[in-house]
Amino acid sequence: MTEQDKVGGNNEAAATGWWARLRRPSTRYSFGAILAVGFVVGVFFWGGFNTAMEATNTEKFCISCHEMYDNVYQEYKETIHYTNRTGVRAVCSDCHVPKDWTHKMIRKIQASREVWGKITGSIDTREKFEAKRLQLARNEWKRMKASDSRECRNCHSLESMNSEAQKQRARKQHEMAREDNMTCIDCHKGIAHHKPEGMTEQDEE
Amino acid sequence: MKQKTLASAIGAMMLMGMGGGVLAAAPDWGTVPATEVVLFYPGVSPLEWITKGTEHGGARALKKGETCADCHDEEASDMGRKMASGQKIEPAPIPGKAGFIPVKVQASHDGENLYMRFAWKQPAASGAAPLDAKNPVKIAFMLEDGGKVELADQAGCWATCHLDSRTMPGADEAKTKYVKGGSLAEGKFYDLYQWRSGENKGFDGHVAETRVMEGGKALVSAEGKLAGDEWSVVFVRKLAGGEGDVTLAPGNAYNFGFAIHDDSAAGRFHHVSLGYKLGLDTDAHIKAVKQ
Repeated sequence: MTEQDKVGGNNEAAATGWWARLRRPSTRYSFGAILAVGFVVGVFFWGGFNTAMEATNTEKFCISCHEMYDNVYQEYKETIHYTNRTGVRAVCSDCHVPKDWTHKMIRKIQASREVWGKITGSIDTREKFEAKRLQLARNEWKRMKASDSRECRNCHSLESMNSEAQKQRARKQHEMAREDNMTCIDCHKGIAHHKPEGMTEQDEE
Repeated sequence: MKQKTLASAIGAMMLMGMGGGVLAAAPDWGTVPATEVVLFYPGVSPLEWITKGTEHGGARALKKGETCADCHDEEASDMGRKMASGQKIEPAPIPGKAGFIPVKVQASHDGENLYMRFAWKQPAASGAAPLDAKNPVKIAFMLEDGGKVELADQAGCWATCHLDSRTMPGADEAKTKYVKGGSLAEGKFYDLYQWRSGENKGFDGHVAETRVMEGGKALVSAEGKLAGDEWSVVFVRKLAGGEGDVTLAPGNAYNFGFAIHDDSAAGRFHHVSLGYKLGLDTDAHIKAVKQ
């Protein structure tokens, strides 16, 4: 076999490969038909992707793991974010997953680590959870602080607060928050879950 | 008819004032303005608790120089209810214990003596075993001059209240109130006055390195009585005093707080006021005007 044969043979093999098929212009279908099919498939693909992603944003999904159901969910159920006089509820993702697409995608990719934690059972007992919850809480506080409590501010803002309707203590604290340019999570740790054991004064600063 | 009733009421009030006996110069309490202060059950909230950020959200405000009253004086009754019921920071709630006691405070002076009158309605008894069987009721107030004691300007009596003092969970039963760095020589102390119903007797002490119940030279008299279900207690003290007494002068305001041991209570199981200011002829929460 000559060198030429070898090369020709390779070209032939490549020409029948999937990459070549993708690259080769169609002789059978019109550009419009391809575009239409692509559009429809695209809609279904994107819709499916988004639906799957939204499914992971539901409270049902979050508490389908016993790690969440047995621990943080039970604590959250005692709080005003779960039940209140106006019937507005903030579910897990409202506080823990950004709403805008870019930050949401980043958070979802980071969450793959939580999947790994689930697989390896890093907090699969109450004891393991308690041992790790300070570290986990600190991670979340850090994220919230870095984003200027973005998820809190999806619903709350200092500007829209009616201080007249607040208790004296809240009024005073929010005045201080304005003066010192503080962010929600600086003070509101433990608003939806118990505060972890072992917190230090630095955690409150 | 109305005039007659009014005249009788004034007459009765004058008689009551004279009933103070030795207090020849006692003011006509009917003309002295009264300020209502709500005393509340404080649970286990000593100085160490109020300054700990992980426990008390207001620790940050305290660090910034705010006073306890700036945030809490409108909600004293609510706080008292929560703590007395064991909902918050009270590991050993006494069933039926009153959560709060509204007290009318009046103050006056005549250039020589300060007159303080406290009046309140007796709350329902809890029915619990008495902690101080001899004294169903005790009332005490403390004064501090110039904020020399750390946090005295902000936290009132809390500067004397510590986690390791008697009746606190796990504390030494012999250890009483004290202030950080307490020293009579340096003026770092609280001047303390108490009246006990069992003995119908006043005490003039102070709180510095430790609590001392006697030895002060300022107290002239302390008398209390129960009429129906209304208590009234009148303290008379000289503006001047001796060691362990805060010397009072018109034009100045002093840190002031008071407490009632109701229901035969002892130690921390009392009802307390937030920290306020008592001013002599000067604006303050409680203003003692010269009569």
